[in-house]
Amino acid sequence: MQQFVNVTLSGLTQGMIYSAFALALVLIWRSTRIVNFAQGSMAAATAFIALAIINAGASYWVALVVALIAGFVMGALVERIIIRPVEGGPELNAVIVTLGLFVAIQALIAIIAGSSFQSFPTPFGVRGFTIGDTTIALTPTSLYVIGSVLVVMALLVALFRFTRTGLAMRASAFGQEVARLLGVRVGRMLTLGWGLAAVVGSLSGLLIAGGGFVYPAYMDSLIVFGFVAAVLGGLDSPIGAIVGGLILGLALSYISGYVDRGSALVNVSALVILMVVLLVRPGGLFASSTARRA
Amino acid sequence: MSLLAAATVVSTVAACGGSNDDNGGGGSTGGANEASAPGITEDTIKLGAHYPLTGVAAPGYSEIPTGAQAYYDYVNKAGGVYDREIEWIYKDDAYNPTNTSQVVNQLVLEDEVFAIVGGLGTPTHSAVLDFLNTEGVPDLFVASGSLLWGEDPDTNPYSFGWQTDYESEGKVIGQYIADNLPDAKVGLFLQDDDFGEDGEAGLMQYIEDQVVETQRYTSGNTNVAPQMAALQASGADVVVGFNTPSYTALTQLTALQLGFKPSQWIYSNVGSDPALVGSLLARFSQGAVSDASLLDGVITTEYMPGVDAPEDPWVQLWQKVWDESGQEGELTNYRIYGMAQAYTMVQALQAAGQNPTRDDLIEAVETVGADWEGPAFSPFRYSTDSHLGISGMQVVQLAGTAADPQTGILVTDIGDADIEESEAEHATPPESGIPDEEPFN
Repeated sequence: MQQFVNVTLSGLTQGMIYSAFALALVLIWRSTRIVNFAQGSMAAATAFIALAIINAGASYWVALVVALIAGFVMGALVERIIIRPVEGGPELNAVIVTLGLFVAIQALIAIIAGSSFQSFPTPFGVRGFTIGDTTIALTPTSLYVIGSVLVVMALLVALFRFTRTGLAMRASAFGQEVARLLGVRVGRMLTLGWGLAAVVGSLSGLLIAGGGFVYPAYMDSLIVFGFVAAVLGGLDSPIGAIVGGLILGLALSYISGYVDRGSALVNVSALVILMVVLLVRPGGLFASSTARRA
Repeated sequence: MSLLAAATVVSTVAACGGSNDDNGGGGSTGGANEASAPGITEDTIKLGAHYPLTGVAAPGYSEIPTGAQAYYDYVNKAGGVYDREIEWIYKDDAYNPTNTSQVVNQLVLEDEVFAIVGGLGTPTHSAVLDFLNTEGVPDLFVASGSLLWGEDPDTNPYSFGWQTDYESEGKVIGQYIADNLPDAKVGLFLQDDDFGEDGEAGLMQYIEDQVVETQRYTSGNTNVAPQMAALQASGADVVVGFNTPSYTALTQLTALQLGFKPSQWIYSNVGSDPALVGSLLARFSQGAVSDASLLDGVITTEYMPGVDAPEDPWVQLWQKVWDESGQEGELTNYRIYGMAQAYTMVQALQAAGQNPTRDDLIEAVETVGADWEGPAFSPFRYSTDSHLGISGMQVVQLAGTAADPQTGILVTDIGDADIEESEAEHATPPESGIPDEEPFN
């Protein structure tokens, strides 16, 4: 029983981390219609900025704020300087550019910060809570992760649903020409979308890093799992991203914990889950409308 | 001054070689240096290797080539081997077998190295085993305790192991548990490849009836909570890990999260470096753990002296070599590993003769390798029938960064070979710090 509880809790926490990353992918997809594969290494870059600040003696929270601002600036700059020239061309061009960025940023981190493992602090404890005599796999750090992800999701839903900016961002992504004719400053909205997505990505990078180990490629598996979670949820829906992440996290945790040699099956299983869901519901679990394409 | 002295010693060796050998063949000595094989010129010998310099296996392991570099520099400053300078080229494979194939291809075909020396990792090096043996490239002293490199010289005549193989290590640990913790319920945490399987095979010879749970992890998948939860649920009070150092840190961290407190942790030699694991976990202390004491009480094995024995003459030699190399960082057990392997390689090159072919090098290791004295507590097993390396280990318990011996030097071999305690005195290093082996032919 204790094992089941712990495997479940561990899966939920992992799932929330996948969700956080999926949220960033959803955000950028909603606001620019591009899947940004560089998101992972951009997040890793900000995590290393935070780590440098913490190593210099500042508190975790100062580092967090600086990293998020750095994330926003990086996202906006990447859009303005690198993505803008290929925007409006075939969709694939932008995707390929983000793949190139992914590799380049990762290499840059390795050059600047070195490629060795470093532990990343967390403002909260890493010991599980105890109920009576049993310790459960839920730590103060995992509560912090879960809480942060839920808050971010709520903010995103509010942004897109209740604000004019959110509407303008969706309009810009959906149909640039039409939006421009209606007076939306499309270029600015795209930059804003990239900046915000990078903030969410950075937050997910920091949440993943906290209480664990970082190295330049530490986001690699998260990119895959986050992408699977986002697609499971329909790529379009913040709530879908959360649900997709949780489903994936739980499924992978059960497979790893209960299937013989399950640890080896984790990566394959993620892709099998993705294929099955796409076969049954091609638009993902939470697609708002199947016919909508940019 | 000491450098000059060392230089003299080596040139004397070269000269002596000439006087006692005239039976021709590639290994003959005395005349001029010739470009006798790929990677050998009149004044250089090119050696290559692959290491994980980035990625999940990089912590610790990426220091090994810096140690080897320090020792080759030391030998080169003293005149090299037969007046040839050793060129040491190592490339990053990120512990990814696909990359290993690529970089080893480059080393053999583009850089044209004489031999691959100390290529690291079981899954990685497996990917190039056939290639090297088909091409006839000496594949010496693979940095992995898998049986693959040494068990079957007929199939892989060019490959040699170096460190004590994982099966022998499993036997030594298994016997220790059976003797000292006979009532313990044992949980195994194994890397899901030959590393874990060989270790398991050795352990099972002694504690099959004590093992209550076996969990395997895949390198690269850093969430080990499901595995640790299963070990916890099994009621295991002794956990034996055949895993890499990062996973020692991960298991300790995850056990903390789960409140899993087995009465004894045992890690294989590979995963037990207290300095490295401690530095990884130091951040999460907050009263829970402090870096040096983190692995206190953990049981592991040693097959040669490490930084925990600063008085040992070998460690003093390594310290001197490391200081002279002027590279950044402290002397670590990983750097010692690299230096010790380079020491064996210099022995092999000396034994192969002045103008060796690749086959001379192999024959030299098979013929005289078992007699070489070096930093290891017990001799190599090299012969025409076995290419397995160091034959014995000692069980130790960690206390801070020191290691407290629990047994004598236990010498064994794979299969059902007995474990025997060695009485032999551990050799001390030559004064110059450079071996002085005669050509084998």
